[in-house]
Amino acid sequence: MKRAILSCNGLDKPEGSVAREVAIRGAEATGAEIICPVLLNRAPARYRKALADSAVTVVDGCSTRCATRLASQLKANVERKVLVSDAVKGSGQALESTLALGPNGVALARRIVEELVRNLSAPAVAGEPAAEFETPVEYLAVTHDKFEFRIPVVDYLFNENDVWVRASDGVARVGISDYMQQKLTDVSYFDPPKVDSGVEQFGELGSLESAKAVFEIISPVGGNVTAVNRAAIDNPALVNEDPYGAGWLVEVKLTHWPEDQELLVDAAAYAGIVQRKAAEE
Amino acid sequence: MAETTFMGVPRDQIPWFPTIDYDKCTFCMECDTFCPHHVFERREGDRPLAIANPANCVVFCRACAKTCGPDALSFPGKPETIARIKQIREGASSK
Ligand code: SF4
Ligand code: SF4
Repeated sequence: MKRAILSCNGLDKPEGSVAREVAIRGAEATGAEIICPVLLNRAPARYRKALADSAVTVVDGCSTRCATRLASQLKANVERKVLVSDAVKGSGQALESTLALGPNGVALARRIVEELVRNLSAPAVAGEPAAEFETPVEYLAVTHDKFEFRIPVVDYLFNENDVWVRASDGVARVGISDYMQQKLTDVSYFDPPKVDSGVEQFGELGSLESAKAVFEIISPVGGNVTAVNRAAIDNPALVNEDPYGAGWLVEVKLTHWPEDQELLVDAAAYAGIVQRKAAEE
Repeated sequence: MAETTFMGVPRDQIPWFPTIDYDKCTFCMECDTFCPHHVFERREGDRPLAIANPANCVVFCRACAKTCGPDALSFPGKPETIARIKQIREGASSK
Protein backbone atom coordinates (compact mmCIF):
# COMPACT_ATOMS: atom_id res chain seq x y z
CA MET A 1 0.00 0.00 0.00
CA LYS A 2 1.14 3.54 -0.74
CA ARG A 3 1.94 5.94 2.05
CA ALA A 4 1.08 9.56 2.69
CA ILE A 5 1.84 12.06 5.45
CA LEU A 6 -0.71 14.60 6.59
CA SER A 7 0.86 17.11 8.90
CA CYS A 8 0.11 20.28 10.77
CA ASN A 9 1.62 23.17 8.85
CA GLY A 10 2.69 24.73 12.05
CA LEU A 11 3.24 28.34 11.22
CA ASP A 12 2.32 29.74 14.59
CA LYS A 13 4.05 27.49 17.13
CA PRO A 14 7.50 25.94 17.49
CA GLU A 15 5.87 22.48 17.78
CA GLY A 16 4.29 23.15 14.42
CA SER A 17 7.64 23.86 12.84
CA VAL A 18 8.84 20.51 14.15
CA ALA A 19 5.72 18.81 12.74
CA ARG A 20 6.43 20.28 9.35
CA GLU A 21 10.05 19.12 9.54
CA VAL A 22 8.90 15.63 10.53
CA ALA A 23 6.63 15.54 7.48
CA ILE A 24 9.41 16.55 5.11
CA ARG A 25 12.03 14.20 6.53
CA GLY A 26 9.46 11.44 6.96
CA ALA A 27 8.41 11.71 3.34
CA GLU A 28 12.04 11.50 2.23
CA ALA A 29 12.74 8.50 4.41
CA THR A 30 9.62 6.50 3.54
CA GLY A 31 8.72 7.65 0.04
CA ALA A 32 5.37 8.91 1.30
CA GLU A 33 3.46 11.66 -0.46
CA ILE A 34 3.00 14.85 1.54
CA ILE A 35 -0.54 16.12 1.90
CA CYS A 36 -0.54 19.85 2.48
CA PRO A 37 -3.36 20.70 4.89
CA VAL A 38 -3.92 24.14 3.42
CA LEU A 39 -4.29 22.90 -0.13
CA LEU A 40 -6.35 19.99 1.16
CA ASN A 41 -8.74 22.47 2.69
CA ARG A 42 -8.86 24.61 -0.39
CA ALA A 43 -8.96 21.94 -3.09
CA PRO A 44 -9.76 18.54 -1.59
CA ALA A 45 -9.99 16.89 -5.00
CA ARG A 46 -6.24 17.33 -5.37
CA TYR A 47 -5.66 14.62 -2.75
CA ARG A 48 -8.71 12.43 -3.27
CA LYS A 49 -6.66 9.68 -4.86
CA ALA A 50 -3.81 9.82 -2.36
CA LEU A 51 -6.30 9.62 0.51
CA ALA A 52 -8.16 6.72 -1.04
CA ASP A 53 -5.04 4.67 -1.85
CA SER A 54 -2.67 5.37 1.02
CA ALA A 55 -2.00 4.48 4.59
CA VAL A 56 -1.64 7.87 6.24
CA THR A 57 0.73 9.01 8.96
CA VAL A 58 -0.76 11.99 10.77
CA VAL A 59 1.58 14.49 12.42
CA ASP A 60 0.10 16.98 14.87
CA GLY A 61 2.09 19.79 16.43
CA CYS A 62 -0.03 20.45 19.51
CA SER A 63 -3.11 18.97 21.13
CA THR A 64 -5.44 21.05 19.04
CA ARG A 65 -4.77 18.20 16.60
CA CYS A 66 -5.83 19.96 13.44
CA ALA A 67 -4.26 17.29 11.24
CA THR A 68 -6.06 14.52 13.13
CA ARG A 69 -9.37 16.28 12.70
CA LEU A 70 -8.82 16.72 9.00
CA ALA A 71 -7.92 13.04 8.74
CA SER A 72 -11.08 11.92 10.50
CA GLN A 73 -13.31 14.26 8.54
CA LEU A 74 -11.92 12.77 5.36
CA LYS A 75 -12.08 9.24 6.74
CA ALA A 76 -8.41 8.71 5.96
CA ASN A 77 -6.91 5.30 6.63
CA VAL A 78 -4.63 6.36 9.48
CA GLU A 79 -1.69 4.08 10.05
CA ARG A 80 0.44 5.98 12.54
CA LYS A 81 0.19 9.18 14.54
CA VAL A 82 2.71 11.56 15.97
CA LEU A 83 1.99 14.31 18.48
CA VAL A 84 4.99 16.60 18.68
CA SER A 85 4.04 18.27 21.98
CA ASP A 86 4.02 14.81 23.62
CA ALA A 87 7.34 13.97 22.04
CA VAL A 88 8.78 17.18 23.47
CA LYS A 89 7.60 16.20 26.95
CA GLY A 90 9.00 12.69 26.51
CA SER A 91 12.37 13.98 25.31
CA GLY A 92 13.06 15.96 28.48
CA GLN A 93 14.52 18.78 26.39
CA ALA A 94 12.67 22.02 25.74
CA LEU A 95 12.24 23.32 22.23
CA GLU A 96 13.66 26.66 21.21
CA SER A 97 10.95 29.29 21.52
CA THR A 98 11.52 30.59 17.99
CA LEU A 99 9.42 29.54 15.03
CA ALA A 100 12.50 28.87 12.93
CA LEU A 101 13.85 25.50 13.98
CA GLY A 102 16.83 25.52 16.34
CA PRO A 103 19.19 22.60 16.99
CA ASN A 104 16.85 21.03 19.57
CA GLY A 105 13.95 21.18 17.15
CA VAL A 106 15.95 19.58 14.37
CA ALA A 107 17.27 16.88 16.68
CA LEU A 108 13.76 16.09 17.87
CA ALA A 109 12.38 15.94 14.32
CA ARG A 110 15.19 13.57 13.38
CA ARG A 111 14.48 11.29 16.34
CA ILE A 112 10.75 11.24 15.64
CA VAL A 113 11.37 10.26 12.02
CA GLU A 114 13.83 7.52 13.00
CA GLU A 115 11.23 6.06 15.31
CA LEU A 116 8.54 6.39 12.69
CA VAL A 117 10.62 4.52 10.13
CA ARG A 118 11.37 1.80 12.68
CA ASN A 119 7.68 1.50 13.53
CA LEU A 120 6.55 1.37 9.96
CA SER A 121 8.96 -1.38 9.03
CA ALA A 122 8.26 -3.45 12.14
CA PRO A 123 4.63 -3.10 13.15
CA ALA A 124 4.00 -2.66 16.86
CA VAL A 125 4.03 -5.89 18.82
CA ALA A 126 0.49 -6.99 19.37
CA GLY A 127 1.22 -9.92 21.69
CA GLU A 128 -0.67 -13.19 21.56
CA PRO A 129 -4.24 -13.12 22.81
CA ALA A 130 -4.37 -15.61 25.65
CA ALA A 131 -8.04 -16.13 26.01
CA GLU A 132 -10.80 -17.45 23.82
CA PHE A 133 -14.05 -15.74 24.66
CA GLU A 134 -17.39 -16.58 23.21
CA THR A 135 -19.60 -13.79 22.00
CA PRO A 136 -22.26 -12.94 24.57
CA VAL A 137 -25.73 -14.30 23.84
CA GLU A 138 -28.03 -12.50 26.21
CA TYR A 139 -28.25 -8.73 26.51
CA LEU A 140 -30.03 -6.14 28.60
CA ALA A 141 -31.22 -3.26 26.49
CA VAL A 142 -31.38 0.32 27.67
CA THR A 143 -33.43 2.50 25.38
CA HIS A 144 -33.43 6.23 25.09
CA ASP A 145 -35.26 8.07 22.31
CA LYS A 146 -34.56 6.07 19.21
CA PHE A 147 -31.34 4.60 20.57
CA GLU A 148 -30.82 1.19 22.06
CA PHE A 149 -27.76 0.36 24.12
CA ARG A 150 -26.95 -3.29 24.69
CA ILE A 151 -25.28 -4.69 27.79
CA PRO A 152 -24.30 -8.37 28.05
CA VAL A 153 -26.01 -9.97 31.03
CA VAL A 154 -23.31 -12.36 32.24
CA ASP A 155 -19.48 -12.45 32.41
CA TYR A 156 -18.94 -8.72 31.87
CA LEU A 157 -18.21 -6.10 34.52
CA PHE A 158 -17.99 -2.36 33.91
CA ASN A 159 -16.45 0.76 35.32
CA GLU A 160 -18.40 3.98 35.29
CA ASN A 161 -16.19 5.21 32.49
CA ASP A 162 -17.94 2.89 30.04
CA VAL A 163 -15.18 0.30 29.77
CA TRP A 164 -15.97 -3.40 30.19
CA VAL A 165 -13.81 -6.23 31.41
CA ARG A 166 -14.20 -9.98 31.13
CA ALA A 167 -11.82 -12.23 33.04
CA SER A 168 -10.80 -15.83 32.69
CA ASP A 169 -7.84 -17.63 34.26
CA GLY A 170 -6.07 -14.53 35.46
CA VAL A 171 -6.32 -12.72 32.12
CA ALA A 172 -8.85 -10.04 31.34
CA ARG A 173 -10.08 -8.71 28.07
CA VAL A 174 -11.08 -5.04 27.94
CA GLY A 175 -13.20 -2.99 25.56
CA ILE A 176 -15.77 -0.21 25.47
CA SER A 177 -19.50 -0.55 25.91
CA ASP A 178 -22.11 -0.32 23.21
CA TYR A 179 -23.27 2.95 24.75
CA MET A 180 -19.81 4.55 24.46
CA GLN A 181 -19.31 3.16 20.97
CA GLN A 182 -22.51 4.86 19.83
CA LYS A 183 -21.62 8.05 21.62
CA LEU A 184 -18.23 8.26 19.91
CA THR A 185 -19.75 7.45 16.49
CA ASP A 186 -17.39 5.96 13.88
CA VAL A 187 -14.11 5.11 15.57
CA SER A 188 -11.32 6.14 13.22
CA TYR A 189 -8.23 5.31 15.24
CA PHE A 190 -7.20 3.02 18.08
CA ASP A 191 -3.99 4.09 19.75
CA PRO A 192 -3.09 0.98 21.76
CA PRO A 193 -1.07 0.81 24.98
CA LYS A 194 2.41 -0.78 24.81
CA VAL A 195 2.46 -4.53 25.19
CA ASP A 196 4.33 -5.50 28.39
CA SER A 197 3.59 -2.20 30.08
CA GLY A 198 1.99 -2.07 33.50
CA VAL A 199 -1.35 -0.41 34.18
CA GLU A 200 -3.13 0.49 37.39
CA GLN A 201 -6.87 0.29 37.82
CA PHE A 202 -8.29 3.53 36.35
CA GLY A 203 -5.01 4.17 34.56
CA GLU A 204 -4.94 4.69 30.83
CA LEU A 205 -5.04 1.87 28.27
CA GLY A 206 -4.52 3.92 25.14
CA SER A 207 -7.27 5.85 23.43
CA LEU A 208 -9.87 5.79 20.71
CA GLU A 209 -10.64 8.62 18.35
CA SER A 210 -13.58 9.55 16.22
CA ALA A 211 -14.43 12.76 14.40
CA LYS A 212 -16.37 13.67 17.53
CA ALA A 213 -14.03 12.90 20.38
CA VAL A 214 -10.87 11.43 21.83
CA PHE A 215 -11.72 8.77 24.39
CA GLU A 216 -9.14 7.67 26.94
CA ILE A 217 -9.63 4.01 27.67
CA ILE A 218 -9.79 3.94 31.45
CA SER A 219 -8.63 0.56 32.67
CA PRO A 220 -11.12 -1.35 34.79
CA VAL A 221 -8.29 -3.51 36.14
CA GLY A 222 -4.69 -3.39 37.27
CA GLY A 223 -2.01 -5.60 35.75
CA ASN A 224 0.25 -5.99 32.73
CA VAL A 225 -0.74 -5.52 29.12
CA THR A 226 -0.17 -8.85 27.38
CA ALA A 227 -1.87 -8.23 24.03
CA VAL A 228 -3.68 -5.62 21.99
CA ASN A 229 -6.25 -6.37 19.32
CA ARG A 230 -4.36 -6.14 16.04
CA ALA A 231 -7.62 -6.44 14.10
CA ALA A 232 -9.06 -3.37 15.85
CA ILE A 233 -5.91 -1.37 15.12
CA ASP A 234 -6.13 -2.24 11.43
CA ASN A 235 -9.88 -1.83 11.26
CA PRO A 236 -11.21 0.42 14.06
CA ALA A 237 -14.76 0.03 12.70
CA LEU A 238 -14.80 -3.33 14.53
CA VAL A 239 -15.22 -1.39 17.76
CA ASN A 240 -18.51 -0.01 16.44
CA GLU A 241 -19.64 -3.23 14.83
CA ASP A 242 -18.98 -5.61 17.69
CA PRO A 243 -17.90 -3.75 20.84
CA TYR A 244 -18.19 -6.78 23.15
CA GLY A 245 -16.67 -9.31 20.78
CA ALA A 246 -14.35 -8.83 17.82
CA GLY A 247 -13.95 -5.16 18.75
CA TRP A 248 -12.18 -5.90 22.05
CA LEU A 249 -9.14 -3.72 22.65
CA VAL A 250 -6.60 -4.97 25.17
CA GLU A 251 -5.71 -8.03 27.22
CA VAL A 252 -4.32 -7.56 30.70
CA LYS A 253 -2.74 -10.13 33.00
CA LEU A 254 -4.48 -9.48 36.28
CA THR A 255 -2.58 -8.63 39.43
CA HIS A 256 -5.31 -7.33 41.76
CA TRP A 257 -8.51 -8.90 40.48
CA PRO A 258 -10.30 -9.43 43.81
CA GLU A 259 -9.78 -5.79 44.83
CA ASP A 260 -10.44 -4.48 41.34
CA GLN A 261 -13.92 -5.99 41.36
CA GLU A 262 -14.94 -3.92 44.36
CA LEU A 263 -14.87 -0.84 42.15
CA LEU A 264 -16.70 -2.38 39.18
CA VAL A 265 -20.40 -2.85 38.53
CA ASP A 266 -22.43 -5.64 36.95
CA ALA A 267 -24.77 -5.42 33.95
CA ALA A 268 -27.84 -4.37 35.93
CA ALA A 269 -26.03 -1.58 37.76
CA TYR A 270 -24.32 -0.44 34.57
CA ALA A 271 -27.71 -0.32 32.84
CA GLY A 272 -28.81 2.16 35.49
CA ILE A 273 -25.72 4.26 34.86
CA VAL A 274 -26.28 4.26 31.08
CA GLN A 275 -29.91 5.22 31.57
CA ARG A 276 -28.86 8.17 33.69
CA LYS A 277 -26.10 9.29 31.34
CA ALA A 278 -28.32 9.06 28.28
CA ALA A 279 -31.01 11.09 30.01
CA GLU A 280 -28.53 13.79 30.99
CA GLU A 281 -27.27 14.38 27.46
CA MET B 1 -28.02 16.88 40.29
CA ALA B 2 -27.08 16.80 43.96
CA GLU B 3 -27.87 13.08 44.19
CA THR B 4 -25.37 12.08 41.49
CA THR B 5 -22.90 9.47 42.66
CA PHE B 6 -19.74 7.89 41.31
CA MET B 7 -18.94 4.40 42.58
CA GLY B 8 -21.49 4.93 45.28
CA VAL B 9 -19.87 8.14 46.54
CA PRO B 10 -21.64 11.49 46.26
CA ARG B 11 -20.06 13.15 43.25
CA ASP B 12 -19.47 16.47 44.96
CA GLN B 13 -17.18 14.77 47.48
CA ILE B 14 -14.75 13.69 44.76
CA PRO B 15 -12.35 16.50 43.85
CA TRP B 16 -11.97 15.59 40.15
CA PHE B 17 -12.23 18.44 37.63
CA PRO B 18 -9.89 20.48 35.45
CA THR B 19 -7.97 23.47 36.73
CA ILE B 20 -7.21 26.22 34.25
CA ASP B 21 -3.74 27.70 34.30
CA TYR B 22 -4.57 31.29 33.36
CA ASP B 23 -0.92 32.02 32.61
CA LYS B 24 -1.06 29.54 29.75
CA CYS B 25 -4.71 29.68 28.60
CA THR B 26 -5.29 31.54 25.33
CA PHE B 27 -9.12 31.38 25.65
CA CYS B 28 -9.38 29.50 22.38
CA MET B 29 -12.43 27.72 23.91
CA GLU B 30 -11.54 24.34 22.39
CA CYS B 31 -12.10 22.67 25.77
CA ASP B 32 -15.54 24.18 26.22
CA THR B 33 -16.53 23.32 22.68
CA PHE B 34 -15.35 19.77 23.22
CA CYS B 35 -16.83 18.92 26.62
CA PRO B 36 -20.51 18.01 26.48
CA HIS B 37 -21.02 18.24 30.25
CA HIS B 38 -21.08 22.01 30.78
CA VAL B 39 -18.15 21.93 33.14
CA PHE B 40 -16.77 25.12 31.60
CA GLU B 41 -18.58 28.39 31.25
CA ARG B 42 -17.83 31.38 29.05
CA ARG B 43 -17.92 34.71 30.84
CA GLU B 44 -17.57 38.39 30.19
CA GLY B 45 -14.40 40.20 31.18
CA ASP B 46 -10.69 39.51 30.89
CA ARG B 47 -11.01 35.90 32.06
CA PRO B 48 -13.69 34.71 29.66
CA LEU B 49 -13.54 31.06 30.73
CA ALA B 50 -14.17 29.46 34.12
CA ILE B 51 -14.91 26.08 35.71
CA ALA B 52 -18.57 26.58 36.54
CA ASN B 53 -19.78 23.04 37.28
CA PRO B 54 -16.91 20.95 38.61
CA ALA B 55 -19.24 18.16 39.75
CA ASN B 56 -20.37 17.62 36.16
CA CYS B 57 -16.90 16.51 35.19
CA VAL B 58 -16.67 12.76 34.55
CA VAL B 59 -14.39 11.28 37.19
CA PHE B 60 -11.12 10.07 35.57
CA CYS B 61 -11.91 11.73 32.24
CA ARG B 62 -9.15 14.06 31.03
CA ALA B 63 -10.28 14.45 27.48
CA CYS B 64 -10.45 18.24 27.35
CA ALA B 65 -6.77 18.44 28.33
CA LYS B 66 -6.02 16.57 25.12
CA THR B 67 -7.65 19.29 23.06
CA CYS B 68 -5.74 22.08 24.78
CA GLY B 69 -2.82 23.24 22.65
CA PRO B 70 -1.03 25.31 25.34
CA ASP B 71 -1.39 22.52 27.93
CA ALA B 72 -3.27 24.79 30.33
CA LEU B 73 -5.52 22.19 31.95
CA SER B 74 -4.50 19.98 34.84
CA PHE B 75 -6.20 17.32 36.96
CA PRO B 76 -5.60 15.72 40.35
CA GLY B 77 -3.62 12.46 40.49
CA LYS B 78 -5.60 9.28 39.88
CA PRO B 79 -4.10 7.26 42.76
CA GLU B 80 -5.01 9.97 45.30
CA THR B 81 -8.49 10.19 43.87
CA ILE B 82 -9.01 6.43 44.06
CA ALA B 83 -7.70 6.40 47.62
CA ARG B 84 -10.16 9.17 48.50
CA ILE B 85 -13.08 7.31 46.92
CA LYS B 86 -12.20 4.11 48.78
CA GLN B 87 -11.86 6.02 52.03
CA ILE B 88 -15.31 7.57 51.66
CA ARG B 89 -16.84 4.21 50.73
CA GLU B 90 -15.30 2.51 53.75
CA GLY B 91 -16.44 5.34 55.99
CA ALA B 92 -19.96 4.99 54.64
CA SER B 93 -20.14 1.22 55.02
CA SER B 94 -18.81 1.17 58.58
CA LYS B 95 -21.50 3.56 59.72
S1 SF4 C 1 -8.38 24.63 25.39
FE1 SF4 C 1 -6.76 25.33 26.78
S2 SF4 C 1 -6.15 27.31 25.97
FE2 SF4 C 1 -8.10 26.84 25.00
S3 SF4 C 1 -9.61 27.83 26.36
FE3 SF4 C 1 -9.39 25.72 27.08
S4 SF4 C 1 -7.84 25.83 28.69
FE4 SF4 C 1 -7.69 27.73 27.51
S1 SF4 D 1 -12.34 15.96 31.88
FE1 SF4 D 1 -13.92 15.29 30.46
S2 SF4 D 1 -15.83 15.67 31.53
FE2 SF4 D 1 -14.25 16.80 32.62
S3 SF4 D 1 -14.29 18.83 31.78
FE3 SF4 D 1 -12.78 17.70 30.59
S4 SF4 D 1 -13.87 16.81 28.85
FE4 SF4 D 1 -15.38 17.53 30.34
